Amino acid sequence: MATIESSSPDEVRPAPRAPAYPRARLRGMEFAGLLSIATGLALWEFFSRVVVANALFLAAPTQIFAAIYQLAIGGQLGPHIAISAAEFAIGYGIASLLGIMIGFVMASSELGKKILQPWIAGLYATPTIALAPLFILWLGIGIWSKVLVVVFLVLFPVTINTEAGLRTTSARLIEMLRSFGATPRQIFFKLSLPSATPFILAGLKLGIGRGLIGVVVAELFGSRAGLGRLISQSADGFNMPELFAGVVILAVAGIVMTAGFTWLERVLVPWTRD
Amino acid sequence: MAKLSLNGLSKRFGDLEVLREINVEIGSGGFISLVGPSGCGKTTLLRIVAGLEPATSGAVLLDGRTVDAPGRDRGFVFQSDNLLPWRTVFDNAIIGPEIAGRAGAAEKARIRDLLRLVGLKGFESYFPRQLSGGMRQRVNLARALAIDPDILLMDEPFSALDAQTREIMQTELMRIWEEGRKTVLFVTHQIDEAVFLSDRVLVLGRRPGRIGEAIDIALPRPRALAIKRAQKFVAYVDRIWRLIEDDVRASVIEEHA
Repeated sequence: MATIESSSPDEVRPAPRAPAYPRARLRGMEFAGLLSIATGLALWEFFSRVVVANALFLAAPTQIFAAIYQLAIGGQLGPHIAISAAEFAIGYGIASLLGIMIGFVMASSELGKKILQPWIAGLYATPTIALAPLFILWLGIGIWSKVLVVVFLVLFPVTINTEAGLRTTSARLIEMLRSFGATPRQIFFKLSLPSATPFILAGLKLGIGRGLIGVVVAELFGSRAGLGRLISQSADGFNMPELFAGVVILAVAGIVMTAGFTWLERVLVPWTRD
Repeated sequence: MAKLSLNGLSKRFGDLEVLREINVEIGSGGFISLVGPSGCGKTTLLRIVAGLEPATSGAVLLDGRTVDAPGRDRGFVFQSDNLLPWRTVFDNAIIGPEIAGRAGAAEKARIRDLLRLVGLKGFESYFPRQLSGGMRQRVNLARALAIDPDILLMDEPFSALDAQTREIMQTELMRIWEEGRKTVLFVTHQIDEAVFLSDRVLVLGRRPGRIGEAIDIALPRPRALAIKRAQKFVAYVDRIWRLIEDDVRASVIEEHA
């Protein structure tokens, strides 16, 4: 009798898949990234100091960092950042919650989808940022007009991704849960929601860049404070280092938040990596 | 009384007649296979028994009760493993009791025993993507056994595995089955697999599917892989093959037309 022992499963593959590149090579590639940034900054510095040599047209990286430092110790930078951050955070938070909720409605109700779809698709394709002056007229020059702009820009990618994610729930997996007598509610929480999470995260990630653009552009149209305000003031005064200071801070914020989401994806949805 | 009876079961998908007047009685504790050419409706038949698909007419009776929806009395082992990629082996295996709202300490201990039984001891906290196809099918089987069903419905569970892994999984299934002797309805298009595993092989004819013949496999148990070379075994395979040969040819021609 050739009974197979239970402790000897066929071809065992215990270790997770090896990374596409060996670790040493990966470190080399990160180094290449840093080198690329350093070279770019050096070229920029050279170009602006030697070729252009006119602070009216282009500020050098060293001048920009000096400006950031000056603004920071002068106490102007803090309030600008705080205002812009508040506008972004409130708008982004509202848009995320609302977007996920609308996405749910669209995915779970055919009627809801019929009613909402044309608006979502239409408004997603519309450059709603052009409505910023109108929002300022409605809500005043304070933060709420900017919050509304951010909501408009972030809402649609989140909604569309949530809906798509929930809709692409595998029919095979739904059937598996049904075979165990799962209720629609259980199917939603045990299957649809986790399988839509990567899509929702991608939508939220897409919203970061759009939201930051929304904050700045809305502030350019009219505001008392904020990084957009700092940029427009600097432009009016031909203060290129300060203008770039605003841009650099926004860029860093965008990069940091996007990297944060990439990390979040690794933690929350590790199964999508391969 | 029969464990499972199919009474005049018919199925149509629009104009397409898939199953016609299927009448089967299956006793308790038997291992029954359903073989037939592709497109003969064997998977559809299994899905109707599982309650995943409504019959057009006729009834499925389990222990005398009519069943027409999925229930905890039937465990389904799927062709593709259908594991949830974000759940570990253990959390996948316990999903049945969890859905029923009874994933307590006793159930957890039972799942651990089951995973040991199917040869996955030590892999409880692995994720599906870290497992081979054969191991995923072991989870698939443990998940179905976890609800302690009256009958196990298996839909070509080894068809996606390579030939060697499939043979190992067949002996493993036999070993596991000998432990509990549950009633099993096993769908396959592999005749030797059906003969190796079964007490009885039901041959399903081509569309519309009807039960052509029921062949009792009088081979001693427990069965080792070597039995596949025995003359008696080969004779069974040959006999079943001759029963479905014309249908298989017809279905192959149809697929290539």
